[in-house]
Amino acid sequence: MRKIIVATAQIAFLAGALSSGSALAESVDIPILVPITGFISLEGTAQRNGAVQALETPPAGVSVSYEVSDTSTSPEVAVNALRRAISKGKPVAAAASIFGTQMLAMLPIAKRAGLPLITVSGTAKLTELGNPYIFRFFPGDAVVKVAHARYAVEELGAKRPAIIYQTTSYGQSGRAELARILTKLGAPPVFEEALSVKVKDMLPAITRARAAKADMLLLHLHSGSTALVVRQARGAGWDVPIVAGSAMHQPTTAALLRPAELKGVCAESASSPISESTADVKAFTAEFRKRFKTEPDAFALGQYDGIRMVLAALKDGAKDAEGVRAWLSSHTHKGLAMTYKSDGKGNMAHDALILCYDGSGNAPRIVKRYDNVDGVLE
Amino acid sequence: MRLALAILGSALLAAWGVGFAGPYEQQVLTIAGINALAVLGYQLVFGRLGALSLAQGIFFAVGAYATGLLATRWGLSFPVTFLVSILAPMLVALVVSIPVLRLGSHYFALATLGIAQLGTLVAVNWEDVTGGANGIYGVPEIAAFGQTVPVGSAMLVLVWGLVVFGVILFGLLTQGARGARLATLERSPLAAGAIGIDAGRTRLTLFLIGAGFAGAAGALQAHAVGVVSPAVARFDVMVAILAMAVIGGRGSALGAVLGAVLLTHLPEWFRAFESYYLIAYGVAVLATVILLPSGLAGLIRRTPARPPTRPPNWVATGPLAKSQTGFARPAGLARRPPATLTVAGAGKRFGGLIALEGVDLHISPGRIIGLIGPNGSGKTTLLNLISGLERADTGRVRLDAVDISGLPANHIARLGVARCFQHPDLPGELTAFEAVLAATPGDASAVDRAADSAADRAIGCLRELGIDMLASRRVSDLAAAEQRRLEIARALATQPRVLLLDEPAAGLGENERVDLARQLRQLAEGGLGILVVEHTMDFLLPLADRVVCLVAGRRVAEGEAAEVVRDPAAISAYFGEAPA
Repeated sequence: MRKIIVATAQIAFLAGALSSGSALAESVDIPILVPITGFISLEGTAQRNGAVQALETPPAGVSVSYEVSDTSTSPEVAVNALRRAISKGKPVAAAASIFGTQMLAMLPIAKRAGLPLITVSGTAKLTELGNPYIFRFFPGDAVVKVAHARYAVEELGAKRPAIIYQTTSYGQSGRAELARILTKLGAPPVFEEALSVKVKDMLPAITRARAAKADMLLLHLHSGSTALVVRQARGAGWDVPIVAGSAMHQPTTAALLRPAELKGVCAESASSPISESTADVKAFTAEFRKRFKTEPDAFALGQYDGIRMVLAALKDGAKDAEGVRAWLSSHTHKGLAMTYKSDGKGNMAHDALILCYDGSGNAPRIVKRYDNVDGVLE
Repeated sequence: MRLALAILGSALLAAWGVGFAGPYEQQVLTIAGINALAVLGYQLVFGRLGALSLAQGIFFAVGAYATGLLATRWGLSFPVTFLVSILAPMLVALVVSIPVLRLGSHYFALATLGIAQLGTLVAVNWEDVTGGANGIYGVPEIAAFGQTVPVGSAMLVLVWGLVVFGVILFGLLTQGARGARLATLERSPLAAGAIGIDAGRTRLTLFLIGAGFAGAAGALQAHAVGVVSPAVARFDVMVAILAMAVIGGRGSALGAVLGAVLLTHLPEWFRAFESYYLIAYGVAVLATVILLPSGLAGLIRRTPARPPTRPPNWVATGPLAKSQTGFARPAGLARRPPATLTVAGAGKRFGGLIALEGVDLHISPGRIIGLIGPNGSGKTTLLNLISGLERADTGRVRLDAVDISGLPANHIARLGVARCFQHPDLPGELTAFEAVLAATPGDASAVDRAADSAADRAIGCLRELGIDMLASRRVSDLAAAEQRRLEIARALATQPRVLLLDEPAAGLGENERVDLARQLRQLAEGGLGILVVEHTMDFLLPLADRVVCLVAGRRVAEGEAAEVVRDPAAISAYFGEAPA
């Protein structure tokens, strides 16, 4: 009897060890390192949700585990989160912060560890450093700012645009690109002003822009600041067209404004899940609403597409982080928002679109698409 | 004890980090060490001076940006960048100290907050130099003399080695007589001036050294993270440093280390709570503040400076050679030559109120002058004018031939005019020995090479007032009469040539007054000129050689006690009837 019990225990132990070993061999780790607190938490939370939705619905045959770590708003916290993720296991890729300054701190560490970072950060500098471990699934400033400026000048006829931007890496990087393209299009900005994310009274900047006789307001601000400028400009009776950055396309931003205030307001973006009519995007949007009780935006969809491309690499046989990096660098992936392909620097997204609000509701409609702006997909 | 624990704890943390921690734990521990350095510097200013500076975060940022710029743009080596990163915030501190160090507590906090905000604006908007919001990236690992210090074990050891060095430096600046002077300056700023402590110089020195600590921390942070962005200049950094100082234990090196280690690790421990970790963090911090109001270091009692156990070097000279205590005067108590204090035509107005007008006074060596008059007659104002706490509108004050009119209080004290206050102004948390030690001549901002003689001098002064047996008792535990004697002992420790006492007998019992009168007489017999402001006539009149009566800021009578009590003007304005 005793021998039977011992033998049974040994078999059970062996079976357990084998099954756990088998599970470990198949499951891969993809940590999510994004800012879910602080001034950029709206965008970071969208990122998180997009990544989570992708990881919760992996392709058949791929098993993934993930843990979400808040990177808050400082590089130091982001570096800690990345080192923690690297030291806890052998991740094959990481969903990484939308906040450009944090990405700049994380990139050297990712390079040393050989870990691909999947991000939707728009900061131009990220893909100009020659780091092969950055993959950006949101069009960079070189793409979206072209759409932003061209729509303002070519479609709305701006002659004297004013730019109000944020004093963050996102804001400063986008402003430089926007001013350059506007000048090239023959409509140099007549007014530029930077605002801290802490500034709540936008009226002084709006008044100065108005005094400069601007005929259009171009915004490159984070979500909260965008809503404040739009509300205060309309409140001040200034009805010029406003073409805002991608923050304005976010349903969470639009929800801060009344439909009447949104009339004549447009935004650039990579996508707008709630505005798209394709079945795949509709299914994504429905699932997202069900899972997170909120509306998806382009950051969520971009991060979702990025992680889906990583999962596709794993499905296609990539075994480790280096395999994933190589696959992402060399393959084209048809995502929900667009088709992704690396330009050799890690810029995966090359399309942009313009959305406008007509004053009847808080959902924008797509008015213009700018596909393959930088020509990478040809 | 706490200092030794801070050093030992730092060394153990570094050893654990090298021996047992993984790369992530090493990174967090390295950041904790960097924070500990910044907090150590802050403990000097906020903890020891009680000055709520909100500029420590910006000094941290200046150090970080200095390293970032020098290392990435000019490729300078660590010894150079590190030195510049320490000196640059000290230079900034020196410039800003000119307008802000004179300000009172809340104005000082607001002024330093303004400087911090200015620094943040510069970091964000001076894009050509600071890199704007992107900051400076690609800060290399530390390299010097052909050796690289990679992030990990080596960086950890370097950082915590610097923490140990910082704790030792902190100890040198804040222990013994120097610590007692800082406590006096924080708790009793008026008394600090009256015993010769140069408040301005001490504040400036610690402000600069604190900035240097922050700069060193910022430099190491730049190397540890690889990026210097405006995040290092944000107010969050200042708040974190302040929280670490308070939760660790204000004013203590051990508190700096404990606070930094705890608050750097707490968010990491709670990371699994995702967006709710801030709630957990907040609850933990709040619980620490409520349960441990003196901070973590408060769990370990401060070890006060110990009085000397060996017998001082006795020299039997002066009137106390055969005093009732049986002790001769110690060598350290040997006084400076007696001096004559002369006040000529002193006048002082407070708005429309004439506090003093044309008052003359003469205090010769070995004489006790009694100063009487009704409340509001200008007695304390006269003491304030002499001791430098107030500036006279008219008239001169001379110590022998030296015109001391308008000099700062600490300068006048160092020249030999000591004073006691109407209500003893003593830091309650010090021991009696430390309270007196604070007044021994020395410089709070320099290494005290004469610590032993200062201690001997302090215990000698306590013996001279017959309270040496109280040396190890906390000031707050002493009775009122004991505190009065202690304050006189502290005044004697400045080696005065003239002593000013403001109502020394107030609140004393009859026997205590007799004892005090005897001791004052003995001091006078030793050559000390003494001015006593007093309302207790049965104490003053037998004691004083001469009495001056002030009424409404004017001298109405002067002479020997017997003459003044019969003076019609003094009777009319003050006595009401001649005292018995």
